[in-house]
Amino acid sequence: MEDERFDCIVVGAGVAGLAAAMVLARNNMKFLLIEKGEFAGAKNVSGGVLWGNDLARLVPEYWKEEEGGWERFINHRRLTFMDEQSTFSIDFKSAHFNQTPYTGVVVLRSKFDRWLADKVQEAIDASDFAMESFIAPNIKVDEVLMEHDKAVGIRTGEEKFYADSVIIAEGVNNLLTRQVGLQDDYVPADHVLTGIKEVIRYDQKVLEDRFQLNGLSGMSNEFVGYATDGVEGGGFLYTNRDTISIGLVLGLKDLRKKRKSPHDILNHFKAHPVIADTIRDGEVIEYSAHVVSSGDKRLMPRELYKDGILICGEAANLLMNAGKAIQGMDYAMRSGILAAETIVKAKEKGDYTSRTMKEYRTALDNSYVIKDMNGFQDAVHMLHSPQMYKDVPNLICDFGRKFFSIRNEPTRKSRELMSESIKKHSSYWDLVKLGIKGARSL
Amino acid sequence: MKFYVCIKQVPDVNAPIQIREGQLIQDASRMILNAYDASAVEEALVLTEKYGGEVEVVLIGPDKAKETIRKALAMGADKAVHIQADAGKEYDSAVYANVLAAYFKDKEYDVIACGKQAQDTDAGLAGGMLAKKLNLPYTTNAVALDVEDEELIVTRQGDSGQEVIALSTPCLVTCSNDMNDPRIPSLKGIMQSKRKPLETVELSSLDLDESDLSPKVSITGYQEKPERQAGKKFEEEPEEGAKKVAKLLDEEANVV
Amino acid sequence: MAISDGKVKRSSLEVLSYCRKLAEQHGHEAEAVIVDANASAYAEQVKRYGPSKIYLIEDPVFQAHNNTPLLKALAKVIDKSDPYLFAFASTESTKDILGALAAGQNAAVLSDVSEFELTDEGVSAKRPVMAAKILASATAKGDRIFVSVRSGSYNAEEAPADTEVVNIDFSFDESELRSTLREVISGSGDKIDLSEAETIVAAGRGVKDEEGRNLIAELASVLNAGIGASRALTEAGVYDPSLQIGQTGKVVSPQLYIAVGISGAIQHVAGMSNSKVIVAINKDPDAPIFDIADYGIVGDLYKVLPPFIEELKKIRG
Ligand SMILES: Cc1cc2nc3c(=O)[nH]c(=O)nc-3n(C[C@H](O)[C@H](O)[C@H](O)COP(=O)(O)OP(=O)(O)OC[C@H]3O[C@@H](n4cnc5c(N)ncnc54)[C@H](O)[C@@H]3O)c2cc1C
Ligand SMILES: Cc1cc2nc3c(=O)[nH]c(=O)nc-3n(C[C@H](O)[C@H](O)[C@H](O)COP(=O)(O)OP(=O)(O)OC[C@H]3O[C@@H](n4cnc5c(N)ncnc54)[C@H](O)[C@@H]3O)c2cc1C
Ligand SMILES: Nc1ncnc2c1ncn2[C@@H]1O[C@H](COP(=O)(O)O)[C@@H](O)[C@H]1O
Repeated sequence: MEDERFDCIVVGAGVAGLAAAMVLARNNMKFLLIEKGEFAGAKNVSGGVLWGNDLARLVPEYWKEEEGGWERFINHRRLTFMDEQSTFSIDFKSAHFNQTPYTGVVVLRSKFDRWLADKVQEAIDASDFAMESFIAPNIKVDEVLMEHDKAVGIRTGEEKFYADSVIIAEGVNNLLTRQVGLQDDYVPADHVLTGIKEVIRYDQKVLEDRFQLNGLSGMSNEFVGYATDGVEGGGFLYTNRDTISIGLVLGLKDLRKKRKSPHDILNHFKAHPVIADTIRDGEVIEYSAHVVSSGDKRLMPRELYKDGILICGEAANLLMNAGKAIQGMDYAMRSGILAAETIVKAKEKGDYTSRTMKEYRTALDNSYVIKDMNGFQDAVHMLHSPQMYKDVPNLICDFGRKFFSIRNEPTRKSRELMSESIKKHSSYWDLVKLGIKGARSL
Repeated sequence: MKFYVCIKQVPDVNAPIQIREGQLIQDASRMILNAYDASAVEEALVLTEKYGGEVEVVLIGPDKAKETIRKALAMGADKAVHIQADAGKEYDSAVYANVLAAYFKDKEYDVIACGKQAQDTDAGLAGGMLAKKLNLPYTTNAVALDVEDEELIVTRQGDSGQEVIALSTPCLVTCSNDMNDPRIPSLKGIMQSKRKPLETVELSSLDLDESDLSPKVSITGYQEKPERQAGKKFEEEPEEGAKKVAKLLDEEANVV
Repeated sequence: MAISDGKVKRSSLEVLSYCRKLAEQHGHEAEAVIVDANASAYAEQVKRYGPSKIYLIEDPVFQAHNNTPLLKALAKVIDKSDPYLFAFASTESTKDILGALAAGQNAAVLSDVSEFELTDEGVSAKRPVMAAKILASATAKGDRIFVSVRSGSYNAEEAPADTEVVNIDFSFDESELRSTLREVISGSGDKIDLSEAETIVAAGRGVKDEEGRNLIAELASVLNAGIGASRALTEAGVYDPSLQIGQTGKVVSPQLYIAVGISGAIQHVAGMSNSKVIVAINKDPDAPIFDIADYGIVGDLYKVLPPFIEELKKIRG
């Protein structure tokens, strides 16, 4: 067994690693998928909306599965600005979104990852290497073994395993990516966010009535403003089968500067009168916290490949958070697929050096992942400017309050109201600057 | 020595559970090897590593439970038997004991090890039932095992002290998780597990009649336990908090 | 009836009291069984709880717990009395024989229940399951039903009656044994039986050294409490294994439970959540134990316990 060699070892059974493994299995590759958690998903507390339809590529017609790993499909989206008392939302719901493949599904990771791992196992069982390819949970990879600066396998504890290639899909805390020299050890706190989330349970009927859900339709709602108590970041609320996921993504540096704890801010968010009303009578059944990449390109590893190595998912800091949604899982999925496809090619060619590995980078650059990350960098930076999480939401809510109040007095023009609100919360000049920036970035 | 270890797949009690209309709604994906059975496997492995022999695991359960069998094989068990049971059927400990007894009827072994209880139901009955049906000397709640000649030496935790009992083989023992920390399968173990013999046995192939498979005990529903509310929490100086709580125990709770 | 340290266990008296009430309601009889090396010595005490009959089986073999003779003795009682319902206090000794006895008698058995009731078809009961996170309602059918009952589920109430005492002949041939009891290692633990204690002071991993253990001992002595421990400490050999409280250890339901340096893992809570008043001392404000504690003190136990003990000394005079 010592001399047993794999085509590929995938480190991490998150979305990226599972997607890669699925493609490897379908292409009759002999591989190992190693996960340090007790099972796939055990350590993955995040979760939210998996956007796009790559999932249908991995598990065709996944929506027909009775015991599917997903919660609800999104046909209702909402972006909410909030101040202390009010919320002002942009709300979009469409029957277009009821059709399969869905544009997004809400997932709870521990369940979803486990389900996807089962699907990968099925693909392994149907492959030429049913007895030789493995999903190995509860094993932590300590090191990527290198020879002449080329990956040759991995080490876990005392054991070493050899392979022609290694796909690193270890998530945001990318120690192995650093170990192989693709990223510096030091990552400034400015670039890191922390995500916290609670899962709150309801009677399914209550949940469906409250959020106007029909069958398995679901809603996603992002929040800016008061939600984060003056700290850089935003909030979210997603509907699951009979729970909701509610949480925040907060800038680590700003949190430290303002000496606030994520937990307190989440309570602050939940205590907002509109939110408190929305989430009333639920029972919190889970609380979790996890680091999230900011999606700032400056944080990406120097390169995403090396001889015998590919980096994908959040380990490569592939993530987009430009205000209208967090996109980490879909990026992870696509990059995992592309990485595995590159390995399949490498095997055909018998060349696992950078020459072939580079094709992964090219494929990624040509995909929506890097195109969007490049295209929306300004939006990312803008989202992290203080006006976005304070002045703008205040202003919008202030305007909303005036616009929607009917007082048995002569009604004022909305233009007037707007300028009054602007004066109160910001200067024209700031807004103009922000407007220009915003227009450019979107 | 030849050890058989009876293992059960149980829901992870640490996972969130919900009750809907009296039914248990569990994250079906979080099924694990019963911790007490894992300790039994571990102990059997330790003893056979020391004295020689073989460890075979037996599980009654649906197809999904194969994963749990693989876990035990990955830990180091040599062989496995999967007695297939209908996923939808609810069995009680007595039915499991009947099925196991039918399976073991014509088998040769020195020791059958069970968990002291299933972690989810905490019934703690199947081991004793099986021993009676197979007419084996047995003891329960073992916290240490050893082998001397043809005897299994069991230290069991009693109500106050511990009793050391020598069982002549063949015998049965139920194990507490206090006897060891089950090993976590190594990657090599996981890889080898796939190549180890796994025999599948149909329930219908065993000598069982209708009454053996009909539970005498059935669960009619589940309900939340009246939850305890978090009370008063004192985060001030230790001295202050301590004094306040002492007073409250006296004046408010009346328990000191 | 379970006997420990020369006394009938309260948990057995609880079960007897409840069975007597059930018998009264349904027009049955409640009888008691004492199997012990000195069985007759306990008859007087048991009588006060009102059984219509007491079966005594007295034999030196019962000096220490051993399942083979005990099973034989209980089978004899069953032959004689032909009970419909046979109820036990859920002790370690009960757990050692319940399954085998039920299999031998072809009885339906409900173990570790927190309440039970006679119905037209059999017995219905509530059992804590999933590490006591939830309650299952279960029913048992058949002509013979066994239940074992968690301590503290019912009150032990005296109700003297005219009780007939019946001695059952018993002999046991050691050569029948395929198991031999070699040794009894009596616990180095406290003499206070945890399942009967009114007050328990329980130590967890936060109690790190001798100084900590001394503080625990002092607190227990001021409150005349039993000392318990989490698995973290019994496993490490710091406290006697018989003091472990929780899913693997004992289930307790004292008036006052003081958890010191215990995080509150569900398997621990499974054994103590029925305590009347829970006090938690832990330096981690987010420790789950605080979610179920009536009074929580956030702080280092080495700083909290001394003033706490002082104050309690003053209160108790
Ligand atoms: C609160 C929160 C909310 C979010 N909401 C959304 C959302 O709504 N939509 C969205 O698309 N994204 C969301 N994200 C982001 C998304 O979760 C991540 O971008 C995504 O999980 C990245 O996938 P991945 O496979 O790269 O990494 P992960 O999912 O982090 O998986 C990495 C895996 O590797 C394993 N691993 C790590 N190191 C080792 C090792 N050395 N050996 C073995 N195994 C190892 C880990 O245990 C883990 O299972 C959210 C994140 C958070 C924190
Ligand atoms: C099948 C199974 C059965 C089990 N059965 C049992 C059982 O019967 N009983 C049981 O107890 N466990 C049982 N366990 C184990 C259980 O899951 C926990 O691991 C165990 O209860 C932890 O013990 P602890 O709280 O003492 O330790 P920890 O969880 O390590 O907690 C120690 C606590 O002490 C606090 N602390 C540390 N230092 C200080 C200080 N100076 N001052 C104040 N506080 C401090 C810490 O904040 C922490 O909260 C079982 C587990 C399994 C899987
Ligand atoms: N389905 C099963 N398959 C194999 N062994 C089982 C099964 N159910 C129970 N057992 C064994 O019996 C022990 C006690 O179970 P229980 O009586 O249900 O608490 C378990 O720890 C196992 O060793």
